[in-house]
Amino acid sequence: MMRHTFLAAAIVAAIAFPMLVTVNYFVHLAVLSMVFMIVAQSVNLIQGYTGYVSIAQGGFMGIGAYASALLSVDAGWSVWASIAVSPVIAGLVALVVGYPSLRVKGHYFAIVTMALNMVVFIVLVNWIPVTGGEGGYPGVPMPEPIGFGDWAIEIDSRQAMYYVVLAALLLVMAVMAAIVRSRIGRVLLAIRQNETFAEAAGIAAWKYKLFAFSAAGALAGFAGALYAHYMGFLSPTPFSVDASLNAILAVILGGSGTLSGPLVGGLLTVLLPEMLRVAEVFRLIIYGLLLVVVMIFLPHGLVPALVGRVAKWREARDTGASPARNKP
Amino acid sequence: MVDLLQQVFNGLVTGSIYTLIALGLTTIFGILGIAHFAHGSVAMFGGYLTFFLMTSVGLSLVPAMVVAMVAGAALGVVIERLAYYPVRMAPPINAFIIALGLTLVIEKANLLMFGVDQVIIPTPYTRVFDIGGVTFPELRVYVLAIAAILVAGMTWMVQRTWMGMAIRAVAQNRATAILMGVDVNRVSMFVFALSSALGVAAGVLVGALYAVAPGVSGGLVIKGFAVLILGGLGSIPGAIIGGIVLGVTESFSSAFVSSGYKDVISFLLMIAVLLVRPEGLMRRGTR
Repeated sequence: MMRHTFLAAAIVAAIAFPMLVTVNYFVHLAVLSMVFMIVAQSVNLIQGYTGYVSIAQGGFMGIGAYASALLSVDAGWSVWASIAVSPVIAGLVALVVGYPSLRVKGHYFAIVTMALNMVVFIVLVNWIPVTGGEGGYPGVPMPEPIGFGDWAIEIDSRQAMYYVVLAALLLVMAVMAAIVRSRIGRVLLAIRQNETFAEAAGIAAWKYKLFAFSAAGALAGFAGALYAHYMGFLSPTPFSVDASLNAILAVILGGSGTLSGPLVGGLLTVLLPEMLRVAEVFRLIIYGLLLVVVMIFLPHGLVPALVGRVAKWREARDTGASPARNKP
Repeated sequence: MVDLLQQVFNGLVTGSIYTLIALGLTTIFGILGIAHFAHGSVAMFGGYLTFFLMTSVGLSLVPAMVVAMVAGAALGVVIERLAYYPVRMAPPINAFIIALGLTLVIEKANLLMFGVDQVIIPTPYTRVFDIGGVTFPELRVYVLAIAAILVAGMTWMVQRTWMGMAIRAVAQNRATAILMGVDVNRVSMFVFALSSALGVAAGVLVGALYAVAPGVSGGLVIKGFAVLILGGLGSIPGAIIGGIVLGVTESFSSAFVSSGYKDVISFLLMIAVLLVRPEGLMRRGTR
């Protein structure tokens, strides 16, 4: 009950946000946060639910971004079609590279995926005829107007893109919720907890892991495509290993293996570095220290910690007194 | 043939630096199961400090390097105590996130303390030896020699001293090592001190050969991990062989294929090794 009220309030607040806040800079940060929440959800699927830490999601984001830009500019496709197809491309790449990579586990898998991300990055930098290299890829268009006949919604402003990205985020959340609650989601959790046991119980774990990795790649590619058409200009920098690490950070900060954790974490990883601009010189030092401190004191992330607090508080309220007061 | 030998020499030199980085990473991993991502920025800290000691304090290269290695060792112990020790019971990904946070902190602190410019550690060694058409720049020969001495010293320490035996014991079976009276806390502090000192040495060598600059540390630590994968996590001979293989592969691919894609070739090699021999080149498959 309280859950649904909270969910509805969050959606209403998200829809109202650009009408209430007219400062372009804040709307810009909100769009970036939502794009980043999608990347964080992709990390959440493979890391939070399946237990495999992938440091390649920034790379898949880059594949989606450049694929969508190339399809819409060089191949002349409509932007909507490009945004719809590029997650499929990123997902297929994930499928192909995931098949060999998922044969290894733990730290090995993390390092292999990190190497994959570096390969993607190096290709983006060096394949100049196609990607423009470090000079960048300019002129990625915004989506065409949607509508029939005389009636149409123009998507030509930051605010309009905000709603496109918000709709995309809601779609991603719905897909994630569907996956997590299905049989597949339960199998993934079983693999996270004990892969050997899951296999002993007759589950072909490799199929499910490959599905999770490909779906995560597709989600990251989707986020990349949205990013490309929102920014209008691409360069390899936002798709380096740093981006993947930031996404992992978002998931861990918010709480991995929960649906809402990556949302909170995605928001924080975009906003915190901006808020700390007040202390420009020490900004990233403070950010780094915050990470260390959060990890030491809240090892499961913010959302589970908060949920735990609320549950305790309720329990205390229902029994009439807080446990601390019961002491003589 | 001369070309080949030349590339083998070049590869050995860069490979020896990778080995120094990887030795630290691999012992830390063996003891604590931590992917110590901040190792590269500790190395860069040492490179900057050496440059500072030489240009502003007026020390010559070797004393400056020794002081920097001691400072690096102290930094390593501080990192172990303040950041990794509190999460030793948490899942490994938490320690990894902490490592990322530390990387940010140390990297930016480097910029604050030493400025944003890239610096090259000045050395007087400019002679070039020529043996049968293969050129051996004096500096590169010394880099290789220093790295070899440090690696040999580390191997000796691990094989022959009490502390080395304790390190191997904890890596093999932590619980039993504790029962046998090994003080795990002391061992892990010692490992961090030693590894960080080796990392600093690598940073100084990089600074003398190429440059110390913001952004070098990330590449360095990733190469270190690549060496670990090639050689096998936690294995010291693996780190040596892996470093040489990676260095030689890199110099061959940049000389004969393309310098832009040399890292792609090394990573493909790493992935191939991982798929054929997941336990690494030098490790007998027991786990």
